[in-house]
Amino acid sequence: MTARKTELPPFLRHDLTDEQLVAMLRTMVMQRTLENRGFQLNRQGKIPFASASEGHEGVQAGAAMAFSRGKDILVPYYRDLGLALGIGLTPFEVLLSLFARADDHSAGRQFPHHYASRRLGLHTISSVIAAQLPHAVGAAYALQSRSELDRAVLTTFGDGATSEGEWHESINFAAVHRLPVVFLCENNEWAISTPLSKQMGQPDVYKRAAGYGLPGTVVDGMDPIACYEAVAAAMRRARSGGGPTLVEAKCYRFLSHTTDDDDRTYRSRDEVEARRKADPVPCFERLLVEHSVLTAEAAEALKRSVLEEANDATDRAEAMAYPAAHDLYERVYAERWDPWI
Amino acid sequence: MMASTDISTGTLQRHGLRDEQLLAIFRNMLLQRQLDNRGFQLNRQGKVPFALGSEGHEALQAGAAMAFNRGSDILAPYYRDLGLCLGIGLSPYEIMLSIFARATDHNGGRQFPNHYSSKSAGLMSFSSILAAHLPHAVGAAYAIKYRGETGRAVLATCGDGTTSEGEWHESMNFVAVHKLPFVMLVENNEWAISTPLDKQMAEPQIWKRAAGYGMPGRRFNGFDPIETYEAVKEAMDRARSGGGPTLVEGTCYRYLAHSTDDNDMTYRTRDTVTERRKQDPVPAFEAVLLEHGIVDAAGVNEMRQSVLRETNEATDTAEAQPYPEPADLYKHVYEGAWQPWQS
Repeated sequence: MTARKTELPPFLRHDLTDEQLVAMLRTMVMQRTLENRGFQLNRQGKIPFASASEGHEGVQAGAAMAFSRGKDILVPYYRDLGLALGIGLTPFEVLLSLFARADDHSAGRQFPHHYASRRLGLHTISSVIAAQLPHAVGAAYALQSRSELDRAVLTTFGDGATSEGEWHESINFAAVHRLPVVFLCENNEWAISTPLSKQMGQPDVYKRAAGYGLPGTVVDGMDPIACYEAVAAAMRRARSGGGPTLVEAKCYRFLSHTTDDDDRTYRSRDEVEARRKADPVPCFERLLVEHSVLTAEAAEALKRSVLEEANDATDRAEAMAYPAAHDLYERVYAERWDPWI
Repeated sequence: MMASTDISTGTLQRHGLRDEQLLAIFRNMLLQRQLDNRGFQLNRQGKVPFALGSEGHEALQAGAAMAFNRGSDILAPYYRDLGLCLGIGLSPYEIMLSIFARATDHNGGRQFPNHYSSKSAGLMSFSSILAAHLPHAVGAAYAIKYRGETGRAVLATCGDGTTSEGEWHESMNFVAVHKLPFVMLVENNEWAISTPLDKQMAEPQIWKRAAGYGMPGRRFNGFDPIETYEAVKEAMDRARSGGGPTLVEGTCYRYLAHSTDDNDMTYRTRDTVTERRKQDPVPAFEAVLLEHGIVDAAGVNEMRQSVLRETNEATDTAEAQPYPEPADLYKHVYEGAWQPWQS
């Protein structure tokens, strides 16, 4: 065992401790488990909808580790289950969102997987592509105008969002005012059913950074450690007054866009199977076991523990009450007002 | 010294432009300057409600217009493109009808002054809303490609301020994806009304954005009409032959206030403007033509007189035209003659 270890190529872990590496793996396994749970619950007719983030586990676990809880602000998009988990959202909170129960942060009003948490600095999410970016830039502008140092905004989006006018306006504004914001593109090559080649004239989102006068970096989105390092460097720059960065993580979307989408109508099974070979979850588990960050037995125990927690969260959330019909106008007007009375 | 003049040999790099074309470019520049000033004068006289200033854009617009193929290309300009519109065939009289908002104007006196349109010239009606014309221009380019028409392209223009708009980005991305016959010509005059370039973008060289879209980009000296012609022609030829879109950026300067409603002394100094006036493209190009014997001093003088006469005549004729009739309010709005108040 010791002899084999010396034959391995150097393991670039940056400043990540064993505990952090294992925490990243656990986030990735939890994301995968809850992801599948969402699809299962939908097929069982228990929830109306779920969106899919399989294949994004590496970039999201890595990026979440670069986020400073209690200080930074996260403005994600709807495919960021792992990022939300990674910054502290619990599986129970995720399931409350999926089941649209009264105790959910939006009291069951929001789309499934559109979380929000004031406690965690997690902005509520918009389904409208790129609509979150002006909000993220506004939060960063507030940090700057209040001279709040050592804080930054992390905002995420897919490759499809980069074609939206709001994307452009947000990045340009952030660049002009050197705002503390990191734009993280999770480029999974598919904007619902639109392939990258029909989305952009050239495939590298990060190359747009130069035109805005901000740094752009690209990273293997299947590699959580590389993603951590890229996002951490960008967040450090933002927190220290160095302005915004555009980070592009190349990943892949293994599932359909959502439970309402059938991806067989626009891409082949062969394509998906070929890309599955780079699945970040088993790859990262193997890496950590090979480098003795955790044992194979510990990895199995981790997976069992995740499954138990996911089951427990599912059962508890399902048992919660729906919002009461008479609460319809709650959280809509400043004070309680029942227009029909 | 203009880039089109080879410093070592002193010869003029005319890029295929004949003497007549060089003189036409110069005359267009003189006419633009004259009409530009006329618009401001008429406003100060209380005769027209509004006019826009394009002084400083003469070389860029006259050069670009020479790269436009009348009868086949489509022009989607913005509101500071007086010289471009003159260059593709709009007459001073048509300009004056627009400024005076008379009934015989192309849009019946409904549009903003300096917002021309001409079906015969391939000149799309334009919007005061920054970048709103670009999706329209992209649509025109998409139609050309969709119909399989070859040898045609769309020339769209905008200022530096417009590049911050979402529509600018969406238009650029769409033409790049679909390789449309489209040229985006940015007239970078360093001022978006009162917003200076450094508050508009962190990277002042707009052409550098082209790489991010996957299209060629190029910057040229917009004070040099010949260099402008060459850059825009190269891009238009590429577009016409199926090579896809190009982003071209011409550097220039806005000498006047944004419009007759703007006082630029509240946001920039007279000294700055005076300093930049030293590069004024109109006398600079005149000097080039004189130096290379393309025209003599008498010829220039005659041309100036002719431009002034034409401007005066256009002004007088347009001013004498009637305003639109109130009864024609709904004309150009609904198909056929429908008068809602008589229903």
